[in-house]
Amino acid sequence: MSTDEVIKVIENFEYSNFSTSFWMGFKATFFRNIKIIWQYKFALLLGFVNTFAVASLFFYIGNLVPNQSIAQDGYIVSSVIYIFAGSMLVDISTRILMKSMNSFTSEMKQGTFETLATQPFGLKKYFVSEITFEVLYSLVFSVIYYIPVLLIFPIFKGLNLNFISVLSFLLVIVCVIFFFFSLSLLAANVTILIKRGREISMIIIGVMHLLSGSLFPLSLFPEWLRIIAYFSPMTLAVQSFRLCLFGQGTLMDSIVWGSVVMLLLMSIVMLILFNLTYKKIYSKIRYKGTMHEY
Amino acid sequence: MTFFLNLITIVMYFFFGKMNPDMTVFGIPSTYLEFCFLGLCLQMIIGTSLATVCGSIYNEIVSGTWSYLLFQFNFIEYSIGSTLAGVVLSSLSVFAALFLAYLFMGSFYVISIQEVMLVIVLFMLILIAHMSISMIFASFTIYYQKNSGLVPLLYQLTKTFTGIVFPLSLLKGFSMIVSRALPLTYGLEALHSVVLTDQTNWQLILTNSMILLISSIVIGVFAIFLASKSIAHSKKHNKVDWY
Repeated sequence: MSTDEVIKVIENFEYSNFSTSFWMGFKATFFRNIKIIWQYKFALLLGFVNTFAVASLFFYIGNLVPNQSIAQDGYIVSSVIYIFAGSMLVDISTRILMKSMNSFTSEMKQGTFETLATQPFGLKKYFVSEITFEVLYSLVFSVIYYIPVLLIFPIFKGLNLNFISVLSFLLVIVCVIFFFFSLSLLAANVTILIKRGREISMIIIGVMHLLSGSLFPLSLFPEWLRIIAYFSPMTLAVQSFRLCLFGQGTLMDSIVWGSVVMLLLMSIVMLILFNLTYKKIYSKIRYKGTMHEY
Repeated sequence: MTFFLNLITIVMYFFFGKMNPDMTVFGIPSTYLEFCFLGLCLQMIIGTSLATVCGSIYNEIVSGTWSYLLFQFNFIEYSIGSTLAGVVLSSLSVFAALFLAYLFMGSFYVISIQEVMLVIVLFMLILIAHMSISMIFASFTIYYQKNSGLVPLLYQLTKTFTGIVFPLSLLKGFSMIVSRALPLTYGLEALHSVVLTDQTNWQLILTNSMILLISSIVIGVFAIFLASKSIAHSKKHNKVDWY
């Protein structure tokens, strides 16, 4: 079958009246993935210990800062809480991206991707439903894992919130989730081409973690690196996340609205890129015969 | 990729070190970067030696090559071979990180040939200890045909509680017990003593080396026993080429 014919088949799946609706497909993906996760229920329990270990690392590093306080954007806060908040946001984002990439890597490894991609559902719907599930799953579990940690470590001590800053904080969170959803979609697309999802996500997260200033204020960066850092959406996201939590930051603050605009713009760009490339990439791996390879 | 991630982590702690944490408060005669550089370099290699045997066997099971491998190698050969291959590659990133640290960050260690030999011995002991642990996890993987998730957990515990980026004296109570249960704590403590102090604490180095050696032997023997039982179980239940 030629590549053009393959694309026609995919389009038939996507737009035909006989094609399964997105909701039905998402439900199928949801139940399938829940069954797989249930097989690894022991790993779910380990998540609590893992999160505790990650949080402990932030806590002890925070204790090393002289005077144990950090000033930024007009507020002064304990270094433990400062590092904790920034690193927690990066950690949860990391989990979202890693879960999504691991899911596609597993499908490639086990040779099930080809079958899933040619379901009477459409390739795009498959991508979207799979990533939606992984984002929701990792988000819900991250929150559950962090509940005991937040009760153990004294992060609530430094909070300085009002009603509008809570709303702004929630908006920032939603934008971060949307950004990682879009990023995961695009990265999943690249994963099927170069087959290394875990590695791709680790590199993306590594760079974002460094540039976000999760461990230290950005003023420690040299000027040129600070400029580069602001090209990473996570930098503004971490900064506005902290401002909302510790400095009553609202959408009126340039950092907060700047991060919202930046995250939304980047998300839209990534969604457009995904939309433009997913068929081409799929055709390319079929044409090159690398669909079964891992 | 290991090289890249290693460098990113080191650069991150380089900037964190610019907040000037006073290490002399904790009895450590060095700057923050000199202190954490050793642990950060080891971190990736330890991760590799922890994950290699278990991860490789899981991959063999998933990709259906496990049954073929059983005809070609025994478990010990496979473990040593795969660990060495992974570790050699990730060790290259350490040398590159050292070179770049000398070049750009002004971090450097002045150590004698005798201390270099000690570092190599300790490095080997740390590797063997983590390889043995990975062999135990691999035997679970062979038995259950699933990845247990224990390796990432142990790796995270190692990163947090072994004194890689902060001194062990910050730990108290239960976290200290966790720390003492992890092999890297002993290895890193001895390495810090060799590299960071002028007077080598032979008593500490000898004690920690013996702990690493004995625990590696005990865990290694137990791992081989568990692996042979797991392989026998898969053969008996005809699960060798099943996933």
